[in-house]
Amino acid sequence: MKPGPFLIAVLLPLSLLGCSPVSLRPLEPINRALEQAGVGREPSLSGEWLAMISGRQGREQVVLVDLRQNRPVPLPGLNRPDAKPISVSVDRSGERLALVRQRDGRTELALYRRSIQGLQSLPLEPAGVPNQVSLSGDGRLLAVQVSRGGLWQVDLLDLP
Amino acid sequence: MPLLALSLAGCNSWLGVSRRPAPPSGFGMEGREDPALSGDGRLLASLVERNGRSSVLLQERLSGKVLPLRTLNGQQPHSSPSLSWNGRYLALIVQRGERRLAMIEDRATGRPHPLLLPGGQEPQRLSLAPDGRRLAVQLTRDGVRRVELFDLGGQLEADLAPGLPIQPR
Repeated sequence: MKPGPFLIAVLLPLSLLGCSPVSLRPLEPINRALEQAGVGREPSLSGEWLAMISGRQGREQVVLVDLRQNRPVPLPGLNRPDAKPISVSVDRSGERLALVRQRDGRTELALYRRSIQGLQSLPLEPAGVPNQVSLSGDGRLLAVQVSRGGLWQVDLLDLP
Repeated sequence: MPLLALSLAGCNSWLGVSRRPAPPSGFGMEGREDPALSGDGRLLASLVERNGRSSVLLQERLSGKVLPLRTLNGQQPHSSPSLSWNGRYLALIVQRGERRLAMIEDRATGRPHPLLLPGGQEPQRLSLAPDGRRLAVQLTRDGVRRVELFDLGGQLEADLAPGLPIQPR
């Protein structure tokens, strides 16, 4: 890649600070497949799995891509046409997905387990409005950003 | 630690979910945003406001101990932190002048690794694979938000599970 003015402006001072720039090599064909899927946002990588929010024409859904096959896997019972996903996170085995979504004017936190095709609502106590989620590799620990009284907080949930 | 009985959706009954707040940051009552757990769940990165700018805070989840980061000061606002399995690598977006730049700090060596996106594109969100070998980046291409995957293999040593926690030198 030929460095442009921006990269020169960035790399020169960074090199003086002892940085080791890493050139990112695009992974194909997965990127072509992702481009064909339309809009993509909120990526979450773990193990051989990529979870993200994807869609076209304003209709977005949670997608889980098996990176060994470079194809999405079915998520029955997870996506609803009346729900707008906000954030998603996947565990290392691709079994558990934590998500935040808006539905019926409410924002809810939920956990999906692929093996039982079940979506479990996770109420927040004290009540709050969830936003970003992050699962640990084993899917047993969930960090969630929650708005309470106008202040963003982070809750940690131990999941059975 | 209080146990919360969950209200149930459908017939999937779960009891025993326990909740606690993130450990105190030691910086007062500021907000805390964008949490990211290491793959092993031992470390928590989040964003706090310092001097009016968003800054990453790395802590041991259980003790709350704040862990040092050596290379990220002066490059706020930070956004979208992401940790590898043992927390050796912290990927995030920093500000360099007018541009946003993806960066990885290697906590084992104390070295920063700026990540160069093809075409000088600006990242919007990141997710680092727990083994440190791949990076997912949300960016805008032709006016459309995209997620693209990039290979880091061969450029960073893997941070594999199970493994020993990395201690800063």
